[in-house]
Amino acid sequence: MTSLPARPFGTLLVANRGEIALRVIRACHASAVRSIAVYTAADRAAPHVLAADDAVRVESYLDGEAVVAAAVASGAEAVHPGYGFLSEHAAFARAVADAGLVFVGPPADVIEQMGRKDHARSVAVAAGVPCVPSHELSPSLGAPVRGDDDRPPPVAYPLLVKAAAGGGGKGMRVVRHAADLDEALAAGGREALASFGDDTLLVEQYVEHGRHVEVQVLADAHGSCLHLYERDCSTQRRHQKVLEEAPAPTISADLRTRLCEAAVALARAVGYVNAGTVEFLVAGEDFFFLEMNTRLQVEHPVTEMVCGLDLVGLQLLVAGGAPLPIGQDDVRVDGHAIEARVYAEDAFHGFLPQAGEAILVRWPAQARVDAALSSGQVVGTAYDPMLGKIVVHGRDRETARRALVAALDDTAILGLTTNVGFLRVLAAGAAFRDAAINTSWLDSATIDEPELDAHRVLAAWAVAAVLVMTDGDPHPFAPDGWRLGGPPTPVRVELDRPVLVDRVAGRVDDTPVEELRCAYHVVVLDLGGRLLQGVVNVTAHAVEVVHQGHRHVFVRPDVLADHATATADGDVVAPMPGTVLAVRVRAGETVLAGQPLGALEAMKMELALTAPFDGTVAAVGAAAGDQVPIGHVLFRVAPAPADLSAT
Amino acid sequence: MSELRDLVDELRARLAIARQGGSTTARERHVGRGKLLVRDRVDRLLDPGSPFLELSPLAATGMYDDAVPSAGIVTGIGRVAARECVVVANDATVKGGTYYPMTVKKHLRAQQVAFDNRLPCVYLVDSGGAYLPLQDEVFPDREHFGRIFFNQARLSEVGVPQVSAVMGSCTAGGAYVPAMSDETVIVKDQGTIFLGGPPLVKAATGEVVTAEELGGGDVHARRSGVVDHLAADDAEALAIVRSVIGTGERPRNPTLRPHEPEEPAVDPDGLHDVVPADPRVPYDVREVIRRVVDGSRLHEFKALYGQTLVCGFARVWGYPVAVLASNGILFSESALKGAHFIELANQRGVPLVFLQNISGFMVGREYETGGIAKDGATLVTAVACSVVPKFTVVIGGSFGAGNYGMCGRAYDPRFLWTWPNARISVMGGEQAAAVLATVRRDTLEATGGDWSTEDEEAFKRPIRSQYATQGSPWYATARLWDDGVIEPAETRRVLGLGLAAAAHAPLPSPRYGVFRM
Repeated sequence: MTSLPARPFGTLLVANRGEIALRVIRACHASAVRSIAVYTAADRAAPHVLAADDAVRVESYLDGEAVVAAAVASGAEAVHPGYGFLSEHAAFARAVADAGLVFVGPPADVIEQMGRKDHARSVAVAAGVPCVPSHELSPSLGAPVRGDDDRPPPVAYPLLVKAAAGGGGKGMRVVRHAADLDEALAAGGREALASFGDDTLLVEQYVEHGRHVEVQVLADAHGSCLHLYERDCSTQRRHQKVLEEAPAPTISADLRTRLCEAAVALARAVGYVNAGTVEFLVAGEDFFFLEMNTRLQVEHPVTEMVCGLDLVGLQLLVAGGAPLPIGQDDVRVDGHAIEARVYAEDAFHGFLPQAGEAILVRWPAQARVDAALSSGQVVGTAYDPMLGKIVVHGRDRETARRALVAALDDTAILGLTTNVGFLRVLAAGAAFRDAAINTSWLDSATIDEPELDAHRVLAAWAVAAVLVMTDGDPHPFAPDGWRLGGPPTPVRVELDRPVLVDRVAGRVDDTPVEELRCAYHVVVLDLGGRLLQGVVNVTAHAVEVVHQGHRHVFVRPDVLADHATATADGDVVAPMPGTVLAVRVRAGETVLAGQPLGALEAMKMELALTAPFDGTVAAVGAAAGDQVPIGHVLFRVAPAPADLSAT
Repeated sequence: MSELRDLVDELRARLAIARQGGSTTARERHVGRGKLLVRDRVDRLLDPGSPFLELSPLAATGMYDDAVPSAGIVTGIGRVAARECVVVANDATVKGGTYYPMTVKKHLRAQQVAFDNRLPCVYLVDSGGAYLPLQDEVFPDREHFGRIFFNQARLSEVGVPQVSAVMGSCTAGGAYVPAMSDETVIVKDQGTIFLGGPPLVKAATGEVVTAEELGGGDVHARRSGVVDHLAADDAEALAIVRSVIGTGERPRNPTLRPHEPEEPAVDPDGLHDVVPADPRVPYDVREVIRRVVDGSRLHEFKALYGQTLVCGFARVWGYPVAVLASNGILFSESALKGAHFIELANQRGVPLVFLQNISGFMVGREYETGGIAKDGATLVTAVACSVVPKFTVVIGGSFGAGNYGMCGRAYDPRFLWTWPNARISVMGGEQAAAVLATVRRDTLEATGGDWSTEDEEAFKRPIRSQYATQGSPWYATARLWDDGVIEPAETRRVLGLGLAAAAHAPLPSPRYGVFRM
């Protein structure tokens, strides 16, 4: 990365958390700038707090007033907003400036202008930047198409409805049929109002099968405005980017030039200063302006890696009032970079957010990792579920892609489910390899969960190994399965099915296995000539395995756990002599385990009589009011067929 | 390949056959009923990966038309819930798990091992009771069927847990195994316990009843109280047994404490090459010792005196041991040296390990006059009265009084193992034939008779043959004269397991009978 003139300012407050806060603090260290973190109660011991030179507590990262106060109180001269939170709040940028501090980002009115999609669109149109054809919101918009009257020309579907004030996909709706438009407008409006306090909507032509290509721009306050080429972020799910890369793999040189020039034109037109991103939708040789992000992007590292620049360092420099130390001709693209975003989500099961203690975290050594997660940290649901980014660089796209697959293979997060296994499948798949993924691909594609055979072998081997490891000093009864004058007995490891592990002979079930490494949770095996590795955590009740990034937890069955149910007979008898108070079921009725069948009064107590397992009432042996002796069979339950097969 | 290796291969082949248990048909029928085979039951009972020191797996080989492999019962020592236990498990695929004379002997031997070493007993019961055609050899005597329950009561009395799982039939006398146990599990719809089975009940009282109604799991778990736990299947029954054993406290103060173990410096596998298969061929027994003990180190005692008995302190798997190893026949000096050494071991609380390869005490006028009988008696007294655990490995010949002096079966070693090259008899076949022929010739000649060399040879041949058969380790182990034939290279492991099993038994103070000086 380029060396920068030292100390644009002495102290900077980082108004963010997580990996981006760490990223900014790292840039501060590189520029000898003192860093101040802010943190909430939940983040008291978060990595960004520990990394900063000082830290100030705030009630919320969104509390702009408190953040500005913290900056003033801690002697900060500048504030870096990161991304998210207050990064695109014009009012916050203004408050920072009003407090006499430097806001590391564009002027507040630029944020305001570009933050509204309708305004941004007008700026783009004025600057000659192509935009997606849009439609006036008029009563005729949703009308059925008729060819022979004097109404405006018919609208071609699909359309995209989006909030003028919004971002991040909120309030966005694709409308494929005229009949759905009114509902989309109503719902989009409600959502926009709730999210942004403004229900203004835009209706644009929806470009299908487009690619998301964005251009990084960087401008100083002295009239210099550069582009740092483009990034392709087409691999996204519901507008959430998953894989990002630079340069864009599918565009022509001519299109690249046009894109970059358009981005610079737009930035200049709006009077942009600092780093920003202009997003386009690319379809064939056409491109359309989508929006401009007036902040540092999550995916900025891919640009840094191909351009060899420190974007945050340059941000600080420009914010400090210095001119850019490089010209457009100094910006060159070298090789290819890809970023994968690691989220705490169950990507194979509905992308549900996940939380928990990350009991063991291993990031790949051979990739750039921008993350704020380490072993033992608790991931909550209060903040964005992104745990970090894995960024690789290669001399060409395929080299980079393979490096990404390797890096994801070497990533292991145990304790909670992440999307690393999903990313690995995606990065290794043909669609990404062939750069055939457009922005809507992931919304409909089925990404299959990996087979668990490898996980099972690794889990079983680790369980057998742990038996020996936890056995203490060598002794004759050491668990090696020794038998008199015969081969050792394999260890039977109960997982989702029993697995026989013979570590002495080197076999798992019928496959020859050689242990190459088995220590510190890392298991490396030679499985019939194939290298198999994983990170494993063995506990009394479960075995957790991460293999090729994918985490699976095998619950170790406890044969005694269902003991009572398995051996119970179906007779519900009177536990003492008494009077039947109620009979609540009839013969033939289906009952669930624990369901009350009736009640008995005995020794002044009312006893509930419950079904011992799921099944059918085979017989009822008493009626309400009956006096019954001890042991009298009141009900007989026949087990449900499923219960039979389980025993 | 050495001849000893050939014998080891024979041992492995015999064990592989014995481990199969009953016939293929019987095994298939057994498994088809949802039952685990006996050795699978043992495997699932033991802690995952636990070694299993099986006792006398070749019991009853060559007996009962070879129809009762392992005598129809699996016994041994393994870990259950991190505690060494004796396991006694019937093999229902062998004659319905009925008790032949050797079955009884093996069951009683396992209980003796449990008593001597204070090891909890787990009985996996699946047996039709006594084998009726041989009732006179299994029922009435002191060491017959009834002794099993006597032992259970006495074992429980000294605090050795008695736990049983009824996994099949448990009829007549057999019903007392679960009934005499401290805690008992039964498998639902599979295990049955009754004093008289349905046929006997019908004959006696005319009552018609199914086995399940008469003594099934539900009857005993819910009504009779004969059992304490009802299991859905074999696996669950074994898990419950493990849980039961786990409720007990592991003994806290071992009487034998191991140091950190160390592998022998010399590879034990070399035993197959340095030991001649023929016990008549002499070699230096130190070659054996250095392939058994930790670091191959022996602190030898009186190395220059009574050299036909090598004595010395060493360690096996970290346990201090006092080794007495035959290095020729016993002379007065060697017998006295041995007795002295045994006293040292008892004084120091160190277990004794006998490596027995002995054709006997020296004979002849000079030696009788020298009082070899009383010196031998001194050694025998010392062996008999030892309080420390004794372990005997017959590594070659075991003949005559040498068997006594070197702690043969009659001297109650905790365990006695045999190498496949061993020979055990009162004397060698050739000597026996010669002694008997001399007596016969004297008788014939005294009455004026005549005995041709051919006739004498014909007289000797069956005697030699008889000794050859009966002196074989297979003959011996079939009759429970030992706890198993072992591979020489596994001696160290087997001794280690034995020492670990013996480590928690009480160790009284030494006391001896009168030594004839």
